[in-house]
Amino acid sequence: MAQCVQSVQEFLQDSFVPMVAVLCSKEADRVSRKNKLSFPELLRPFCRLLSEGHIRDPNNQLQTVKNLRICVNAVTTNPVSSPAVLSPAQYRQLGEVVSSCQPLEGAAATSFKTGDYNLNLSVTTPWFEAYRENFLQSMPASEHEFLNHYLACLLVVSSTEAVPVEQFLKLSQEQHRIQHSGEYTHPRWFIPNTLKYYVLLHDLSEGDEQRAETVYEDMKQRYGSQGCYLLKINSRAVSAEEDEQIPDPWSQYLHKNNLRYQVSLVIGSLSLRPPAGISIQSLFWFLNDACSPTSRTDTEGVAPVAVGRGSCLTLNDHDRIRQFVQEFTFRGLLPHIEKNIRQLNDQLVSRKGLSRSLFTATKKWFGGGKAPEKGMSEPKSACGLLYPPEAPELQIRKMADLCFLVQHYELAYSCYHTAKKDFLSDQALLYAAGALEMAAVSAFLQGGGARPYPAHYMDTAIQKYRDDCRNMVLAERCALLSAEILKNQGKYSEAATLLIKMTSEDSDLRSALLLEQAAHCFINMRSPMVRKFAFHMILAGHRFSKAGQRKHALRCYSQAMQVYKDRGWSLAEDHINFTIGRQSFTLGQPESAVTAFRQILNDDSKQTATQQAAFLREYLYVHKLAQCLMPRGLPQLPLPCILSAATRVYFGHEPRLAQGEKQAATHVSLDQEYDPELSAMWSRLEEQLVAAANRGIVPVGFQPTQCCLNSQTDNLRQPLAVLNEPIIVEVTFRNPLKVSLALSELSLLWRFSPHVSSLSIREPVSEQLTGEVIGNEETLTTPARLKLLPHRTGQLSIVGVTYNLSSSSSETTEGTFKHYSMELVVRGRQDLNIQGPRLNQTKEEKMSVRHGTDRRLDAIITPPMPLMEVFFLHFPSALLCGEIRKAYVEFCNVGAVALCGLRVASTHPEFFTFGCNNPTPSSPASAEHGSAYKTFAATVQPGSVVSEVEVCAQDFSQLSGVLEIPIDGGTLHPGQSIQLPLWLRGPDQEGVHEINFLFYYESTEKGLKVSHRVLRHTVFICASRSLSVQASACRSTAPPQRSADSIGCDGTLVFVDVENVNTSEGGMREFHIVQVSSSSQRWRLHKYINPDKDNDCKLSSREKAKLCFRATPCVPLPGRYCSLSGCAPIISSSTPCRDFFFRCCRGLELQQEDKTSRTGSKNKTVSTPDNCTSDPAAIAKKCNELDLTIIVIWKAFVVEDSKQLILEGQLHVALQTIGKEATSLMPKEEAQEMVLLKFKSDLPPPVALPSPEMSQLIKTNLHYPETFSHGFLQDSLCMVPVTLTLSNCCSAPIEVLIDLRHRSTSAESLEFHSLFSWVGQSQYKLLLRPHEVLSLALRACFFRAGVYNLNTARVFAKPAQQSSMSESNQQAASPALIIINST
Amino acid sequence: MAVCIAVIAKENYPLYIRSVATQNELKFHYTVHTSLDVVEEKISSVGKALGDQRELYLGLLYPTEDYKMFRKLHNSFTDVMCNPFYNPGDPIQSKAFNGVVSGMMVQTG
Repeated sequence: MAQCVQSVQEFLQDSFVPMVAVLCSKEADRVSRKNKLSFPELLRPFCRLLSEGHIRDPNNQLQTVKNLRICVNAVTTNPVSSPAVLSPAQYRQLGEVVSSCQPLEGAAATSFKTGDYNLNLSVTTPWFEAYRENFLQSMPASEHEFLNHYLACLLVVSSTEAVPVEQFLKLSQEQHRIQHSGEYTHPRWFIPNTLKYYVLLHDLSEGDEQRAETVYEDMKQRYGSQGCYLLKINSRAVSAEEDEQIPDPWSQYLHKNNLRYQVSLVIGSLSLRPPAGISIQSLFWFLNDACSPTSRTDTEGVAPVAVGRGSCLTLNDHDRIRQFVQEFTFRGLLPHIEKNIRQLNDQLVSRKGLSRSLFTATKKWFGGGKAPEKGMSEPKSACGLLYPPEAPELQIRKMADLCFLVQHYELAYSCYHTAKKDFLSDQALLYAAGALEMAAVSAFLQGGGARPYPAHYMDTAIQKYRDDCRNMVLAERCALLSAEILKNQGKYSEAATLLIKMTSEDSDLRSALLLEQAAHCFINMRSPMVRKFAFHMILAGHRFSKAGQRKHALRCYSQAMQVYKDRGWSLAEDHINFTIGRQSFTLGQPESAVTAFRQILNDDSKQTATQQAAFLREYLYVHKLAQCLMPRGLPQLPLPCILSAATRVYFGHEPRLAQGEKQAATHVSLDQEYDPELSAMWSRLEEQLVAAANRGIVPVGFQPTQCCLNSQTDNLRQPLAVLNEPIIVEVTFRNPLKVSLALSELSLLWRFSPHVSSLSIREPVSEQLTGEVIGNEETLTTPARLKLLPHRTGQLSIVGVTYNLSSSSSETTEGTFKHYSMELVVRGRQDLNIQGPRLNQTKEEKMSVRHGTDRRLDAIITPPMPLMEVFFLHFPSALLCGEIRKAYVEFCNVGAVALCGLRVASTHPEFFTFGCNNPTPSSPASAEHGSAYKTFAATVQPGSVVSEVEVCAQDFSQLSGVLEIPIDGGTLHPGQSIQLPLWLRGPDQEGVHEINFLFYYESTEKGLKVSHRVLRHTVFICASRSLSVQASACRSTAPPQRSADSIGCDGTLVFVDVENVNTSEGGMREFHIVQVSSSSQRWRLHKYINPDKDNDCKLSSREKAKLCFRATPCVPLPGRYCSLSGCAPIISSSTPCRDFFFRCCRGLELQQEDKTSRTGSKNKTVSTPDNCTSDPAAIAKKCNELDLTIIVIWKAFVVEDSKQLILEGQLHVALQTIGKEATSLMPKEEAQEMVLLKFKSDLPPPVALPSPEMSQLIKTNLHYPETFSHGFLQDSLCMVPVTLTLSNCCSAPIEVLIDLRHRSTSAESLEFHSLFSWVGQSQYKLLLRPHEVLSLALRACFFRAGVYNLNTARVFAKPAQQSSMSESNQQAASPALIIINST
Repeated sequence: MAVCIAVIAKENYPLYIRSVATQNELKFHYTVHTSLDVVEEKISSVGKALGDQRELYLGLLYPTEDYKMFRKLHNSFTDVMCNPFYNPGDPIQSKAFNGVVSGMMVQTG
């Protein structure tokens, strides 16, 4: 139970006060009506006595009466309905009283803390006290108790009356008639001879005072000075202006009664107004203010009522009235009561002995006789038997009541106690209950620990009232008293139980109030029961709302909400929120309703789909109305959730995919997933481009261009957007509900501030940015793309999105849906708050949760930039390995500014070329064939060797994967477009290749924020196998030619194995080897040595051919070419062929470099020629170095769609060293990866060089006659001269050791060697200068005829000045056979 | 058999709550929440009376209760707590626990 303003004692005392009736003459009534008050109303504020009164009890003890209040009422003879129930009017009045009494705004809400609950409660419940007071006052008088029976009657007559005494007589007679005639049941009278008190009312403003005095004197004579009074009022004339403000003591007593009348009046006048948002409830408030006279009086309709109350009374008059009441009470009423108590006491004492036995005896005798009275036939007898008014039991009760009224509680208790016993023994249940109730109350009021409070009396009384007598009104009164007493004793639990028991279905208002009090009991317990409090608050709120007390209901729910909020009781929370929302809405507080509904539609709602749909509908409805009532900007909507982090921002136009046969550059689109590796690749390419554009230096502040920003990109800097180029924002919505939502008319909210520093003239920014509808229906997670087109430079930040939200039900058809959505569409907004990535650098950041900044939505709009579009024509998607195809690329500047510095970088620079800057005019032949290659105009004899020298190099030396695109004039003006040929060469490895192009361009205007722009393009090329070319070279064993062009000893044979490895069944017919070219600085293909002179080399599937060439060294020149054959020799030194050749080489070198840099510890293989002399390995290497690249140009005949196509291509084979085989197919790189897993340290390089390299330092040739005839008969010894030619292959001096002695150990040599021997010097030591050819004359001696191998000489060689090294055995040439004939 | 079973964290929010009939769910939730006051009262009285006795069963809140039911539920709850992937304080979503609860619920339909 909440705290009350009154103490318990005060409350109990005030609940039962002496009742005084008033009978007024007409004239007296008129006098008092001057003040717009009836006589009882006039007295009411003065009914509490401020001074103490005294009374003597039957034992002549003096008893003090403190703080006594009397109740003055006009006599009304209206019959009252059954005392067991209140009339509907009374209920209505109680309801009004409760609803008019609302907690004040900002009233002291005490914060209450228990456990982890922090509650804000209003400790007092004034509406409950108001209800209780009103309820007790409106109690109908019952015959079983006398407390609210009239003890006295005031007879009031005005002095203006012609004959006042006559009037007194009349009134007195009337009183007598009312009490005793038996016509009226209603005003019940305490004692038969009611105290009559004669009051002469004198109006000072109009009456003759003298006359009044004389009448009063007369009255004194007649009724005694104790029984009459002259009351002088109205010292002021009515007309007198209110110049002095007099306090209005009536306001707090009277307005409640007048309320009903006033309200109807106000409503009447108000209905003329347009229905503004003022509810009736707030009107009550309004009225309460208006009723006090100090408040404004200009309110229509109310003012006349409020003003003028007591206007004729001065403060002196107030004092006179107060004095009158005091006089009446002390001189009239109290002595009257004292007299009666004494009388009753005497009666009872005298009757005691006799009556007790007599009554019990009669009861025994007529035990059965009283039974009919107990029957259920009469409603009143339901409560037990009825006593006649003079019954002695009732006399006791009457005396107890009198004692109680004059605060003699001790005597009252003993009387009640006695009465109770009697009633109980008589089975008079109603009487007994009344006695029990009052006994308990007087026992409590006795206080001082004289007697323990008999709580069970109360319980019994309530139970009897309710169950036996079915008198809910009395039961309720009893419960209210009992609860108040229990509360005072700290027995909150019992009080709560009692109050909860009293709730019933018949009265919602009562139940609500009692439940609320019970809830307060729970919270006030020693260990507060917070949850019980909350639960009962909810129950109370429910009952309040049933009783139509919306404000109270809302308050109850709100208080309960504090307990349930944010504690995981989501169902309960939703229920409360829903109710709060509804109540707030009906109370005209749509904003709080919206807030409440918002909380229901939260993320993890556990409600069912139908429930959610209902909530949503309600929310939308309320929201819409709230917006209609008080439109204030766009409201924040709770639904659907925006995944802020998933927001993506795209700058620029959406890429067009294709335009007819033109294929646009893929660039970046929002449909692509973000791939960090890919973006790293692109930024590497861009870095290369920027470096190339800035003469090899990457600027300090370089940042890769980011077209599409998402959560993974670097969003620390403000992105740059270009004027008149759209910004596309992708917002991801998630629907947390189980029902679908429909969104429409989405648009972005943005904030724009123009740069002060910018050149543009400052103008007011109009609606230049437009939003666009993209998505409209969501179920789970849906992105919506919104476009923004900036028209001015400045700073733009995207703040949020705004959209129409409506619920969409799937079953409605299109038409009805439209209609439906028309009704329930709410326009609102949601902000985009993007948090940056969580910081995790410092310890502080690790310990707490901190997020970085994310500025992807804050764009800077820069002046216009060129905008390039790139289209590709005839771009293939599949190529053979090495195939050359010509395509076209079109660059188009669609921006408003000219562009320049066009460059491209690619991950596969060897894949494409734009050709050289000065294209030679293509021959007509090639044009006819549509061939990519250029041919010589004149046909050359097949098989002949065309040799040419090409000065190349500088163009290609700068290669770094970046290629400048040759456009005319270097600039591309707005609207201009240029088409360039683009040659493509199929990658050497089969499979699908992803090839990335990055086009780079700048604005012709310098010094802009955006230094350059890029455009991405990704293609996928499927390469299929074509030819496999394997080449090897070996030193020819033939002796050096003595021809003019031969400088040294050399001549190398080059073998080219070509195999058709194409596996596709259909289409591919055959390959023709059109031409073989070579490129080397030192070698050239000299001669085509095809065995059978078959120049047309055709290869069908799986066929192989071997081509054989002789290469001869030549003056070191950058490139030489040798063509094989064909109808028209192809100028392999011209654009596509040359370009691809160099690009491939470059690619290889890059790869090699890459490898070395990756392995790191690899020996540097490249060394300068100066070092060569000192490093034997290098010498050897140099000697074997070939560095010859073979270019095989082929044609393939392909049938596709029954059309023959000729495809062309070229393959490159780089021969590095003699003896090593090289292939056109790239070897798979595996070794590199293994290194990382190797834990052993690398083996130290071997000191002794492996023979294969060192054994080829010296080339040996034996010159001898093939057959030699000798007459062995003549001479047993045959001497044959043999010349040994030694040629130094190296560019370093070589020490040579020649040993001619037989190696006896060799088993195989036995056959021949034993039979011949070298004669003469058998061991030579020579020094060979670089490339020197030296001949040694030797002589062999044969003993008989036969075939001999002369190649037995062992040649050891080592570089000169390398004393530490041992000579290595030189490769033995093939057997040199000599036939010795005997003649 | 039970109509509603709830596991409440010591901060008085539900770790797990399930009831039989969906139409009365709200009522059960209110009931469970309100009965926490009784539980709290019992805990405070037991704490004083028995000291460190490890009796977890507080007794009857209402006169129909099955002791075995509590033990079964508590064992299952212990299992949930022993799950290393369970974060104490999170709502219980264990299938095994759900199964045990289902077994104790009134079978409807």
